[in-house]
Amino acid sequence: MTVPALALEGVGVDRAEVPVIHDVTLDAAPGAVTVILGANGAGKTTLMDGIAGLAKVRSGTIRLDGTPIEKLATFRRARAGLGYVEQARTTFRTLTVEQNLLVSQSGDGDLGTVYKLFPELDKRRNLQAGYLSGGEQQMVVLGRALVTAPKVVLIDEMSLGLAPLVVRRLMTTVGELASMGIAVVLIEQFANLALAAGDHAHVLRKGGVVFSGPCSELRGDDERLHRLYFGGPPLTTPGPSTGPVPGGGATPDAPRNGPQESERP
Amino acid sequence: MVNSVIAGLTSGGGYALLGLCVVLTYRLVAVVNFAMTAVGAMGAFIMVSLTDKGWNVWAALVVGALSAALLSGLLGAALVRWFAGHRERTKAAVTVALFVALSAIGLRLFGGNSTGAHRFPNPFGDPVFTVGSVVVPQSVLVSLAFALLITLAVGLLLTRTRIGLKLQALSERPSTAEVVGIPAPRLAVGVWAGVGAITMLVIVLVAPRLGGDFGALSGLISTALAVAMVGAFRSLPLTLAGGLILGCLEGMSSSVDSIQKYQGVVPFLVILVLLWWRSRREVWDTAHSR
Ligand SMILES: Nc1ncnc2c1ncn2[C@@H]1O[C@H](COP(=O)(O)OP(=O)(O)O)[C@@H](O)[C@H]1O
Ligand SMILES: [Mg+2]
Repeated sequence: MTVPALALEGVGVDRAEVPVIHDVTLDAAPGAVTVILGANGAGKTTLMDGIAGLAKVRSGTIRLDGTPIEKLATFRRARAGLGYVEQARTTFRTLTVEQNLLVSQSGDGDLGTVYKLFPELDKRRNLQAGYLSGGEQQMVVLGRALVTAPKVVLIDEMSLGLAPLVVRRLMTTVGELASMGIAVVLIEQFANLALAAGDHAHVLRKGGVVFSGPCSELRGDDERLHRLYFGGPPLTTPGPSTGPVPGGGATPDAPRNGPQESERP
Repeated sequence: MVNSVIAGLTSGGGYALLGLCVVLTYRLVAVVNFAMTAVGAMGAFIMVSLTDKGWNVWAALVVGALSAALLSGLLGAALVRWFAGHRERTKAAVTVALFVALSAIGLRLFGGNSTGAHRFPNPFGDPVFTVGSVVVPQSVLVSLAFALLITLAVGLLLTRTRIGLKLQALSERPSTAEVVGIPAPRLAVGVWAGVGAITMLVIVLVAPRLGGDFGALSGLISTALAVAMVGAFRSLPLTLAGGLILGCLEGMSSSVDSIQKYQGVVPFLVILVLLWWRSRREVWDTAHSR
C-alpha cells in the first residue's frame, strides 16, 4: 500500500464549543477518490472544516503526507498541500476569475493547468466571479484549489444546486484531479454520483463513522445506504470497517452522544 | 469667509485621509480602530521630540513614522493573536481601552498644554497665490496633493498588486482567504502598520493648524470616525469627500465669531445628522452587513 496522503486518527472536532465529530479514523490515498457520505447534519462539513483548520480539532491527529497538521493555522495547512473546496461556492465575487486564481497561487501551481481543465474559465478570465453561473463559480473554486499545487483536495457538496449536466461535467474533472496523483476527498449527500466516481467510501452518522469500505459495496444498494444514513438494525455487519463489531458498536453509541451534547445551549 | 473655507481644506485633506484609514482598517481587518490617532500622535510627538534635540526634520519624520508603524503593528498583532475570533464590538472595545491608555501615556510623556503647537514644523504656511481677494495658502495645496497621492497609492496597491488582491480577498471572505493559503495574520499586521504610518504623517500635517497638544491630536479620532461615517465605513470616494467637507465646515465656523468657540462640535453634528438621515433611509444596516 502507498502512504496515505491524508490520514485521520481518532479525530474529534468541535463547532462553537460543541463536540460534533467523534473519534473519526480514515485515510485518503493519492490518485484515488475517497467518498464521504452522510445525511444532512451528519457532520461532513464540520469534519472537513476541522481538517482545513476552520473548526477546532479537539482530539486525534491529522497527517498530511505523514506530517501532523492539526495544530497549524489554516493558511499553513493550505501551504502544506491541502486544498479545500468549501460548501456553497465561495468565490471572491468582486475579484475576476484570473485574480481569484492569482491570490491562491503558490508553489508549483500553474494557471495554465486550470485553464486547460476549464476552457470555460479561460474565456472569462477578466470577468468578476460574482457574474459567473453556478457551475462556472464551482470551476473557479476548484481551480483555486488546484493552483496551490495540492496533495489533497477536499470537495464539499460540489453538486448542490447545479444542473445534472453541469454536475456530470464537474465529476469528470474530479476524476482528472485524481489522475494527476491528487488524493481527492469527495463529500456528498446524494450518494449515487459520488459512489460511481469513487474508490473508497465512508459513511458518517451523528458525527461518527458507521461504514468504511469500497464504493462497490454500496453502489446501487439504496436500502443499505438508507440504514447507514438514518440508523436502524443492521442486516449484515458492514464489511471491512473499523474495529470489532464496528457497525453495531458505533450505531447505538452515536445517537446517544449526539442529542445529549447538542442539548447544551 | 471664503478664505477660511479654503484654508479649512488644509485640515480637510488630512481629515479625508484619517477617514480613509478608518475605513480601510474596517474593511480589510474588520476592526473599528479608536486608538488610531493616539498611535499617530505618539509617532508625531516622537518626531518633534527628536527635532527639539536638533535632529534633521526629515530624519525625525522617518523615525516618527516608523515608530507609529511599529506601535500600530504591535497593537494589530495583539488583536490578531488574542481577539481573532471575537466580535467586531469586542475588538472595537479593546481599541477604545488602548486609546485611553495611549492618551494617558502621551499626556504624561509629552505634556497636556498647547506649548506643543509651535514645535511642529510649518514649512507650508506662506500664501502661494491669490485669486482676486481669495488667498490660497501653500498648505492647502500640499494637503490636497498628499491626500490625492496616498489615495492613489492605496488604490493602486489594492487593485494592481498581488498583495492588494489578497487583501481584497481577505476583506471579502476572511476564512476562505485563509483556506486558499493567504497569510491573514501577517497581512493584517501589515495593514495596521501602514495605517499607523499614514496617520502619523497626517497628524504632522494638520498639527500646526490645530494647535499641537497631545490630547487634541489623539482626539482627532472623533473627526476620523465622523468622516468614515460619511462613507458608511465602506465607500472610499464618499469618505474623501466627507473629509474635505468637514474641513470646510470647520473653516467656515472659525470665521464666524459667534460660533467659533463651538468649532469642536462640528464632527459631532455631522455624526448626528448622518445618523438621523441614515435611520430615515434605513441604509445603515445594509452598509454594515459585511
Ligand atoms: N456554526 C455552527 N454552530 C453550531 N453548530 C453547528 C454549526 N454548523 C453546524 N452545526 C451543527 O453541527 C452538526 C453537523 O453539521 P454539518 O457539519 O454542517 O453537517 P453536514 O455537512 O453533514 O450536513 C449539525 O448538527 C449542525 O447543527
Ligand atoms: Mg455540509
